Amino acid sequence: MIAFFITFFGAVVLLFIGLNKRESSFSIFAAGILFLSAFLCVASKFGWCNFGILESWVPANMMQFSPEQLLFMGLLSFLTGFIILSFRDSDIIGNDQLALMMFSLCGAYMMVCYQHIVVLFLGIEVLSIPLYVLAGSKKDNIYSNEAALKYFLMGAFSTGIFLLGSAFIYGGTGSLELELMGIKPSFMHAIEGMPIPVLINAGIILMGVGLLFKVAAVPFHFWAPDVYQGSPNRTTVFMATVVKISAFIALYRLLNTFVGIKSNWSGWLSILATITILWGNLAAMIQQNVKRTLAYSSIAHAGYLLIFILIADGTNAWILWFYGLAYGIASILVFSISHQLYNTNKDDTFEAFNGLAKSSPIVAIALVIGVLSLAGIPISAGFVGKFYLFSFAWQSDPMLVCTGLVGSALGVAYYFKFIKHAFLKVGEKSPVIKDRGILIFLVLIILMAGVFPWILLRTFF
Amino acid sequence: MEVIIIPFIACLCVSILGKRNNIWLSTLFSSLPLFFVYQYFQHLDSSGKWISLFDHAWISDKIRFTLAFDGLTGLMLILTNMLVPLIILAGIRNDENQVKLTALTLFMQAALNGVFMAHDGLMFYIFWELALIPIYFITLTMSGKQAFKITLRFFLYTFVGSLAMLASLIYLFLHTADHSFDFESLRAVELNLNQSIGVGAGILLAFLVKIPILPFHSWQADTYTEAPASGSMLLGGIMLKMGLYGILRWYFPLAPESIAFFQPWIIGLSVAGVLYGAIIALRQKDMKRLVAFSSLSHVALIAAGFFTLSAEGIEGGLLQMFVHGVNVVGLFLVIEIIERSTGTRVLGELGGLAKNNRICMVFFMLVALGTMAVPFTNGFPGEFLLLKSLYAYNHNLALLAGLTIIFSAVYILRMVQFSMFGEGKKAMSPLSWNEILAFVILAVGIVGIGFMPQIIIDMVHKSVLIIATWISEANGILS
Repeated sequence: MIAFFITFFGAVVLLFIGLNKRESSFSIFAAGILFLSAFLCVASKFGWCNFGILESWVPANMMQFSPEQLLFMGLLSFLTGFIILSFRDSDIIGNDQLALMMFSLCGAYMMVCYQHIVVLFLGIEVLSIPLYVLAGSKKDNIYSNEAALKYFLMGAFSTGIFLLGSAFIYGGTGSLELELMGIKPSFMHAIEGMPIPVLINAGIILMGVGLLFKVAAVPFHFWAPDVYQGSPNRTTVFMATVVKISAFIALYRLLNTFVGIKSNWSGWLSILATITILWGNLAAMIQQNVKRTLAYSSIAHAGYLLIFILIADGTNAWILWFYGLAYGIASILVFSISHQLYNTNKDDTFEAFNGLAKSSPIVAIALVIGVLSLAGIPISAGFVGKFYLFSFAWQSDPMLVCTGLVGSALGVAYYFKFIKHAFLKVGEKSPVIKDRGILIFLVLIILMAGVFPWILLRTFF
Repeated sequence: MEVIIIPFIACLCVSILGKRNNIWLSTLFSSLPLFFVYQYFQHLDSSGKWISLFDHAWISDKIRFTLAFDGLTGLMLILTNMLVPLIILAGIRNDENQVKLTALTLFMQAALNGVFMAHDGLMFYIFWELALIPIYFITLTMSGKQAFKITLRFFLYTFVGSLAMLASLIYLFLHTADHSFDFESLRAVELNLNQSIGVGAGILLAFLVKIPILPFHSWQADTYTEAPASGSMLLGGIMLKMGLYGILRWYFPLAPESIAFFQPWIIGLSVAGVLYGAIIALRQKDMKRLVAFSSLSHVALIAAGFFTLSAEGIEGGLLQMFVHGVNVVGLFLVIEIIERSTGTRVLGELGGLAKNNRICMVFFMLVALGTMAVPFTNGFPGEFLLLKSLYAYNHNLALLAGLTIIFSAVYILRMVQFSMFGEGKKAMSPLSWNEILAFVILAVGIVGIGFMPQIIIDMVHKSVLIIATWISEANGILS
């Protein structure tokens, strides 16, 4: 709960004191707030400090702060801090974008620790509304406007569908509380062997679809490439990491309630996972634009995470946490490098990477490590994440794991385009890369999580 | 542990030092692990078991970072840590890529040592993949027009193979009693025939691509030809052996029930590969390409020897693995030196090089004799044992595979003749000290093993016997 307060009031303060000042001077302040809230989340998980008073303000059937949720909140706030640090544009006046991003993060927190569908709904809205503004924040750019409109329309529809689903669930189970609504259908399924009412099945599907829109799973992904391409880079990476991970946590907690009737929803979800992995990877192979490629790659990663939703049993949420960390950090790294190259070249095709290895070898190595982590090649965090995921999924669904492995092999083909352009092509301009320190720090996180995952997981879980 | 850490630290030092780096110093650092390998040998007891030297929890409590050592591992470590210093000493050109190639080669050495010492299935997989990354960047250095295409094909081939192996290893891992990736736990899993065939197919695919056995070979010739010399040496000298080592160390013990199913196929394909590689090598004009195909032919014979499942075949194969590493590195080194001073390696444009560089000619002839398996050179005992074991398995196949002795004499002598003798079209500059030193060490290897092959066979004998017992326990084929 303390994370909420800090993030929210930090954003408000930022809006007031930073009006009409250059944004870059305040980004360290914003990132500091976010790291502080991440730290406090972890601290209250370990019981170093106690904010019981704050937490008692919220009824326990609305929101709950279990250790697992605290770690997820910490992860999201940590990632947002890095997003703000690694995208510091000096030419933006006003801190509205930073503040909006932090408001949006508050929505993500709600999606993590909801206990009631109404809170989840509020969370989705609080998360999305600042994003509609952020997506269109390059006002003179037509693509940015397109992105904002598309994201808004799609978001509005998906929330509508989600609401319809929750109404059905209420009709079928008589409750919207997370702990109560799963009881009736599992009881009916397990003990009496009765068929589950259509209302409940339809409700689960509709609510799932509403969240799958947010994570951009195929076939609800059509907005993603356009919106990712049009939005400013910082917003894109926020959508690709924090929004996606928080929507997955919400989906995981929602479907985990209905784990008793898993056979009713696992079928269509595994089909969706298969086509998401395959389509995401295949479509990414033919893209020329870096942001579109990364958009499709994030769709493919959504597919891998759907495998997690299928194997989740309430005890293995740490897989999602680790995968989210690995995927988030690597995405921020690659997006940040491509953003800085874009600032030099004004070119967002792969040509922008030409000659990077000659002009700044350290950045090229950082790029390679980020890309290898996204592709899931050993000693990067991405490999360990995929390994945990696939080894846990193998028992229940070997076909899905094989699809995942095929997807990883396909992924190499387009992730290596980055390496090809950075190492083989000759570039005309030598790009200016600022913030090398942060890039190196991100690389270190990837390598540490890849080489010593056990230490990390044992400390936290 | 030292043999992995030292090259890795050396790699970091070289990257930091950059142009100030001295080639002798990096050679010294990369040969330091040999000393530790000698120390590891002192730990061995008479049972020949694979003993663990280092053990620590890693990815989880049961997926541990375990390094183990026995005679078989020792042989591979000697091969790696003997060849890598030579590659750094003489195989890397003194140009703008020198630092990069040296650093990547050292990185590769660390990864290869990890592959050969890994006692944990996942760790083996991780080092296996890790070895792929430096070699990918080494081959990418030679920026021909096709470089990206060729290297990507190489990477994808091996990556798909590795993923299949990972799937098999995870399958075994889930069936272990204590949910562990440890070699012994994986081996203890009881599989029925169908399961074993499935698991075995996955593991074998990774190794067959790496060796490569016939239908999976199409990445090989292009990659060898396009890569810089150090890359070709690493690939041909050491990386191919990863596949053969993997068959012996991981495939045979983990899925022994499926060996009988795969045996005729692999031996058939290998013998086909022996002939195919040799016949194509006859027609090559580019010397590197010629060596690539000759290596395809020689290595296929080793795989066939392994799959005869006789102790002679396996021990002969291991001997030949070591010998082939030395010979291929020697051949690529001579070709590299010729190319460095004349600017070409196409047979038609060369000739008469012996006139102004006799040392090179003598050494080239020596390596050629070793590759042709002339008695008292290192190639002979291994090839003899391999053909003998193949003869015991099937007479006709042994006759076919025996043709390789004639073919290899033809293509190797053709290569020596067209480059060294005859009309002089190009002249060669004299050798530098580091090249001569590399030649001398390799020459000692060629002649020494030719006279005393028993040293290597003794080194691996106990490990081979243990593996052979496991195979025969599983299906009783072994004679």
